[in-house]
Parts: sequence; C-alpha cells; structure tokens
Amino acid sequence: MNRINRRQFIIGGAVSTLAAALPAFAQAPASFRIGALNPITGAGANYGAGMQKSILFAAAEINAAGGAAGRKFEVFAEDDQTTPNAGVLAAKKLIEVNKVQAILGTWASGVSLAVMPLTNDANALLMHTSGAVALADPKLNAKKMSFRYQGSSKHLSKAFMKAAQKEGLKRPAVMASNNPATAPHAEGFRKEWLAAGGQLTDFVLYEPNRTSYRSELQQVLRSKPDGIILSGYAPDGVLIIRDWFQSGTKMKWIMPGFAANPEFLKALGNEPTEGIVVVESIVNEGAAAYKAFAKQYESVMGKPAASNVYAAMCYDMVNVLALAIEAAGANASSAVIAQKVHEVTTGPGQQVGSFAEGRTLLKQGKRINYEGASSSVDFDDENDVDPTFAAFVIKSGAWQRTYLINR
Amino acid sequence: MDLVWADYANLVLNGLAEGLLIALPALAVTLVFGVARFPNAATGDLVSVGGFGAFGAYKVSGGSFLMAAIGGLAAGAAAGLASWQLVFKPVARHGSVTLLLTSIGLGFLIRALLGLGFGNEHNMFELPMMRAWTMGAIAINRMDGIVALLALATMIGVFALLHATPAGRVLRAMADNVDLARVAGINTARASAWMWSLVGVVCGIAGVLVGLKTQVSPEVGAELLLAAFAAAVVGGLGNPLGAVAGAVVLGVAQELSTPFVGFTYKIALSYAVMLLVLLWRPQGLFNRVQGVR
Amino acid sequence: MEAYLLAVFITALVYVLLAVGLDFQYGFTGLINFGHVGFFAIGAYAAALCAVRLHWPPVVGFGLAIVLPALIAWPLGRVALRLHDEYLAIVTLGFSEIVRLVIISEKELTNGGQGVPGVPRLFTVFASNGWNDFLLAILLALTCALVVWLLRQITRSPYGRLIQAIRDDQTALLALGKNPARFKTQVLMVGSGIAGLAGAFYAHYVSFVTPDQFTPLVTFYVWMAIIMGGVGRLRGAVAGAFLLVAFLEGSRFIRDVVPGVSEVAMSNVRLAAVGLALILFMRFAPQGLLGRRR
Repeated sequence: MNRINRRQFIIGGAVSTLAAALPAFAQAPASFRIGALNPITGAGANYGAGMQKSILFAAAEINAAGGAAGRKFEVFAEDDQTTPNAGVLAAKKLIEVNKVQAILGTWASGVSLAVMPLTNDANALLMHTSGAVALADPKLNAKKMSFRYQGSSKHLSKAFMKAAQKEGLKRPAVMASNNPATAPHAEGFRKEWLAAGGQLTDFVLYEPNRTSYRSELQQVLRSKPDGIILSGYAPDGVLIIRDWFQSGTKMKWIMPGFAANPEFLKALGNEPTEGIVVVESIVNEGAAAYKAFAKQYESVMGKPAASNVYAAMCYDMVNVLALAIEAAGANASSAVIAQKVHEVTTGPGQQVGSFAEGRTLLKQGKRINYEGASSSVDFDDENDVDPTFAAFVIKSGAWQRTYLINR
Repeated sequence: MDLVWADYANLVLNGLAEGLLIALPALAVTLVFGVARFPNAATGDLVSVGGFGAFGAYKVSGGSFLMAAIGGLAAGAAAGLASWQLVFKPVARHGSVTLLLTSIGLGFLIRALLGLGFGNEHNMFELPMMRAWTMGAIAINRMDGIVALLALATMIGVFALLHATPAGRVLRAMADNVDLARVAGINTARASAWMWSLVGVVCGIAGVLVGLKTQVSPEVGAELLLAAFAAAVVGGLGNPLGAVAGAVVLGVAQELSTPFVGFTYKIALSYAVMLLVLLWRPQGLFNRVQGVR
Repeated sequence: MEAYLLAVFITALVYVLLAVGLDFQYGFTGLINFGHVGFFAIGAYAAALCAVRLHWPPVVGFGLAIVLPALIAWPLGRVALRLHDEYLAIVTLGFSEIVRLVIISEKELTNGGQGVPGVPRLFTVFASNGWNDFLLAILLALTCALVVWLLRQITRSPYGRLIQAIRDDQTALLALGKNPARFKTQVLMVGSGIAGLAGAFYAHYVSFVTPDQFTPLVTFYVWMAIIMGGVGRLRGAVAGAFLLVAFLEGSRFIRDVVPGVSEVAMSNVRLAAVGLALILFMRFAPQGLLGRRR
C-alpha cells in the first residue's frame, strides 16, 4: 500500500507540477514584430507620416483588445525616404536587427520592388500600397507573402477607360505627372484606350514641382480634345485646373481620387471644380472600419481622413494581419499566417469591420470576411486587392457618387 | 502641330511669368555674390522660410493676404539676418568654396527645422478665382499678373535702395572691393548684416509669391535654387539687373523651346543656355570682365 | 545583424569610390565639381541597361560604366574647366541635372521616370542573397583597394605633383609652359570614370535604378564625406565615406535609445545633423579629420 501510495504520490506530484507549469507556457506568447516602413520623406512625404501613425494606432487598438491570438504587436518604425536604396537599408535593419515578421506600408513601387526579395528571403510578410504591375509577377511574389492593398495600375487604367467611355469621350487627351506613381496610370490608360480602338489627341507628361503648367495646358487645349484625363498630385492639379478655369474654355476633366483630395478641393474652391469627374476605388465610407479609422486619424493627425487613403490601407493591413494571426494560432509561422489572409478577408464569411468583432466569430469557429476602411479588402489570385471603382462628380466642392464602374 | 503667332505670344507670356518669379531668388543670389563672393545655396531654403511665414500669418489672421505678405517678409528678413550672424559671419574671410559648402549645410538645416516645426506635408492658400485677361487668343492669368507686379515692385525697391540710398552705396562699394571699402571707413560687418536682411526680405517675398502660386512646404524653395543660380550666372554674378534680365531671358527661352524640345527638356534648356552664355561671355551677359577665368 | 551590417558596409564602399574620385578632382587638383552624381548616374544606367536590355555579361556593363562617364567628362571639361570656381560649381551642378533630365526624357532607352527594375545581382550562381552580398562586398572592397592604390601611385608620381600644382597655383604652371586645361580635363575624366564604376556596383546591388536616386543631394553627401575625412588625402576620403554612412545609418539607432522621438521627426533630425555637421566642419575643422593642414 505504502509503495503504491508513494508511486502514486510521485506520479501525482509530477503530473501536478507539470500541470502547474503548463499555464506558464501558455502565458505571454511572444510578441509579433511589425516593421512600419513608410515614405516619411521624399515624394511620398505627404502620406508617409499618416500611414505610419495609422499603423501605430491600429496596433495599439489590437493590443488593447488583448493582442492577436494573445500576441501583442510590437511596431518598429522606419523611413524609406521614397527611394529604393534607403528602403533596402531600412528593410534590412528591420529584418535583421529588429527581427520583424512583417513589413507594412511601403508606398513607392520602387521601394516595394526592392524590398520584396528581402522579405521573401526572410519569410516575412510584405503589405504595400504600390501600383506597379510588376509587383504581382508570380516570379517575384513566388511565396505569395506579399499583398497589395491598392488597386493595381492595371485595374485603375481599366476603370478610367470605362469612365471615359461612359462619359461619352471620343477624343480625349491625357496629362500626367512624370513620376513613377502617376505616369504608369496614364500610360496604362493610353494602352487600354488605344487597344479599344479609341484615339487620343495628345499625351503630355509634365515634370512635377514646377511653378506653372500653362504651356503644357495650352498645348493640350490646342489639340481640341473633348475631355482631359489628369493624373497628378494635388499641387500640380491645382495649378492646372486653376489655369484652365481662368482661360474660360469648357472641358470635361477626369481625375483619380488621390488627385482630387480635400486639399485640392479647398485650394480651388467650388467654382473651378464643379463638374470634374473623379474615379476612385470605393472607400468604404459606410463601413465600421472606416469610421473607426477616420476618428483616430483625425484626432492624431488633425487632418481629414479622406485625404490619405493610403493611411486607411495601412490601418486595414494591421487589422488583416491580426485576424490572420488569430485564425492561424499563436504558434503559426509567417507562411501559415500569409495563407490565412485570404481566408479572413475574401470569399464567403460573415462581414466584420474590426478585429474584436472578427476574433469573436473566429473563436466560435465561423468564417469571416473583413471589410476594411480603404476598400472591401478582397484579394485576387495574385494577392492584389480587387477594388470596386466608382465615378463621382464634384458638386459644390464635394464628391457625389454617380455610378459604379466595374461591378 | 502648327503654331500660330498667338500661341508663341502666349508662350512668351508664360515664360515672362515664370521668369519674374525666379527673378527674385536670382536677385538674392546675385546680391550675396556681389558682397560676400559666393553662390548661396541656402537661397531656396530662405524662400521656403518666407513661404511658411506667409502661411502662418495667413492662418493666424484668418485669411488676410496682407498679413501673409508681411509675415513672409518678416520671416525672410529674420532668417537672413540670423544666417549672417550665426553662420556666415564667423567664416566670412574664408574662401568661396568654404562659404558655398557652409551654405549647403545651412540649407539642409533650415529645411530640417521647417520640417520639424511644420511637418513635411504641403500647404496651399485658398485663392479667390479670377478670370484671365484675354485679348483675342492671348491670355494673361490674373494671378500671374499680380505676381509679376509684386516681383517688379520688389525689384524696383531693391534697385532704388542700391542706387539712391547711402546704405545702397555702401553695399555697392563693398561689392566693388571689400578691402578698399573697409579702408574707406565702412563698417563692413554692419553693412553685411543689412545686406543679408535685404536678401532675406527678397527671399521672403519670393516665398509668398511662390506660396500663392503653388504651395508652401519645406522643399518648395530648394526646387527653385538651380533656376535662380542659372539666371544669376547668365546675367552675370553680382549684377542685380543682370540677374533679373537673366531670369526673364531664361524663362522666355525655356517656354519658347517647348514646341521643339518638349516639356522635360525645356528645363535642361536653362542649363544649356547658361553654358553657352558662359562659353561666349564668361562674365555673364551684363558684367564687365572681372576675374572669371 | 550581420546581413544589415554587410548592407551598410557595401553602401559605404560605394561612397568610398565616389569620395576618392571627387577627392582626386578637388582635393588634389582643385576642381570644384558639383556634378559628381551625374557621372554616378551614367555609370549606373550603363550597367543596368547593358544587363537588362542587352543581356550582356556584367563585365561589359562595368566596362561601359567606366568608359562612358569618362568620355562625357571630356567635353564638359574642355568647356567648363576654364571657368572660375563659383561658375564651375554651378555649371557642373547644372550638368548633373541635365543628365537626370535626359534619363527621364529618353523613355525608349531608359524607361524614363519609372526606372529600370530587375538589374541582376552579381554572383547569382549562389542562390542565397546572403552569399551574394558577401561576395559582392569582397569584390567591391578589392576594387576600392585597387582604385585607391592606383590613385596613390598617380598622386605620388610627377604627374601627381603637376596636378597638385594646378590646385596651388595655376600661373606657375603656365609659366613653365604647361597647359593646365589638359590636365584638369584628364583628372575630371578619371574621377568621373571612378564615379561610373561606383554606379555599376550600385545598380547591381540595389537592382533597381530610377532618376530620383541621382539628385544633387548625393553630390552634396560625397562632398560632406571628403570634407569630414579630410581633403587632399586619399585615406581621408575613405574615412569620410565610412563616417558619412555611419552618420546616416547610425541616426536610426538613436531612436531606439531615445524612444520619445517619432520617425517623422527623426528624418528631419538626421537632415539637420548633416547640415549642422557641414557648417561646423567648415568653421572649425575645414581640413577634416585626416586632411592636410593648408
């Protein structure tokens, strides 16, 4: 009896010690490290600070809710200076020194193109807002660990073509800023338009950061187009529209959303912008995620949330990452987490607008579909967001939706 | 596409407008060169300071353009004077390369301080919409006209100062020969301080005008630096009238070249013209031959 | 950590090539060349286009990257080098901008503002990026050593004394019946060829070249390197290049130590530090840390 009792005691003691130790293993899973690599300076400086702050407050939100699968987010912030070489050095620092498992928010295509091989090598996720079609190349994104949150150039160009057709344009002209972000949209549009049998009366790429575009505008107007597709940023957009309006010629303008932002509208006032057509992927203004994002963005940055759609994309990146980790489990590798991204954002599943909401449903074993602040965040086979585009017309200084474009 | 004479006239007007905008920073470059003998690479950043001064005053006063102008002017003057006192005065006797490199450093510093203080995003003024003046096919933007008038007014003011006041005479003496001026009893340090304040004012006004036409941001002034340099060089470094003339000549040449070289190369044209002018007349168009080669 | 340090080391070596080239021009010969980045760009694009468009072996690309900038430096030298210092500075600055504008404009050749992606990394026989970088670093270090040695031989030779005489007093040279213009042009060509070589390495390392990587800011950085390291001394240029990169990269880590500063502020703090360093060096230590006392 005694021996059995002692053996039982020992076994019982061992088991209970183990049992006591188990919660220690289950406690405090390792934090998940995120690299926020954004264009704080350089051509993207207008968006970078907002993008970085959005990642920070989104991560804080996740942590306040207890972390993703219990893992808290630790964010390391760097500036990619909107150039590939600075981006590469920053990415290497983030990956090698800070040991991040995901890099979020690269904006310029050059930076994303240079960073992707690094994240692929390190088995880290890359979520970016760059437009270059090359980023979706299966050879480059072979591990499928990179995700694009902006409509790719391909999608945007097609949307413009459809809008131009719908607006009844037969002989439009194109004006675009000659930089790696806006020029591809213009060239893509030209390709699509000409392929569909249309003609262009003129195609002008102007240099950014100039004090006047009158000569450029005058040349385009001389070719007598029935509409102008303008792809540039707010400062050049303001100069061009102002000049055009003062000339008194009638013209139909079609611009992308990032060009006709609140800064543009405010600087010009109502009269010159009346009737301009804007093509943009539908930011989910009604979505819960957008509301949550906008509130925090405005209080942190002091600027309207609609002025920085890339920041909304970054907010979504953090939420999607958190939900994917939640779905994959606390011990999942980055590769597994990457696979879960489609599962939590695309396809059948109950629509959710926040991490907390999604986590509850995931815990119940249900399928979810995250609807984001920047778009509905549904990825296609190439890990590109497939946004729904809509055309808006500016009336009294505000965008009014007129029709959907590709659904 | 065939151009009519009216199209060329419009190009000339565009060039004139752009040239007059560059004329002010070019004037600033040439003033500094005349007295202190080096090309000031911080000129563009002083212009940015003026822009922020203007924008700040504009916001604080609830949208007054007059306050914006005063704010820009004052900010420019303060920055110019501070640049002299803190940065250039201690190295005033050094060679021009030293001063040039110092000015590059100062430019970075100013740009960084503006970014730290106001952020790197760009800001725009809200301007009332005005219809252009048209005479047949020729059009002049009202804003361009206003900018041109203000720039001309500033230039006239500076020339009046240089030629009709004792202070101006002092500056011209220093530009001619600093040591002789000192021997003649001129307090060169004080005169330099005045010169730098004047340079600051000119840059400040340029900042206001550029800000009104385009935007206000830490980088906007630096974008103009090379054009200002080219204009000052073409006109002859140290020659104020030359700087203005150079700016106008380059501006017009640039715009007139667009039907032939396109919109990207037209920018390269200023530098090409600058090189040609220096080949033919190394002292610049309006200078006397004086220690250039 | 090692991969990051390797990346920083490679960047520093690219700057070493740029710095010794510029020092040869300014420190030894007194040429005030503010267009250095233009030759860097020509070399980078030459190598990139050779590899991506023509699919020629890298050796050819590297060769072109050295020869093309040197050839382009010749007319620039003939035209500009007779100008006085300040004019030369501005003209060379204009030249580097012309180069950038040509790159942007000639879209058929250079793909314009969108740049040339996909420049192959060297040593891709070894699939892993880690080994690529390591071998590249070794090749680059050997190249730097070779270039520095060559320059040292030149500067110590009678030819070297001649060009230093140009820096010190051109009229003396004229009195001896020698034409400084020819030598100045040759020095410009050599320095530009070295800058082009740096560009070739750069293109194959970053694997993506765009025009906005080649702005005058890079020229100013190289000037900063030679100022800090010491003008007129090759080891000064080398030291200056390392110092510059340490400066630019080190500022990242300050933030890890001083947590209150946001990244947004940090980039401006970095720029301010660079500007302040230039101002202070020019005032208190114009000969740099290792340079000759003039």
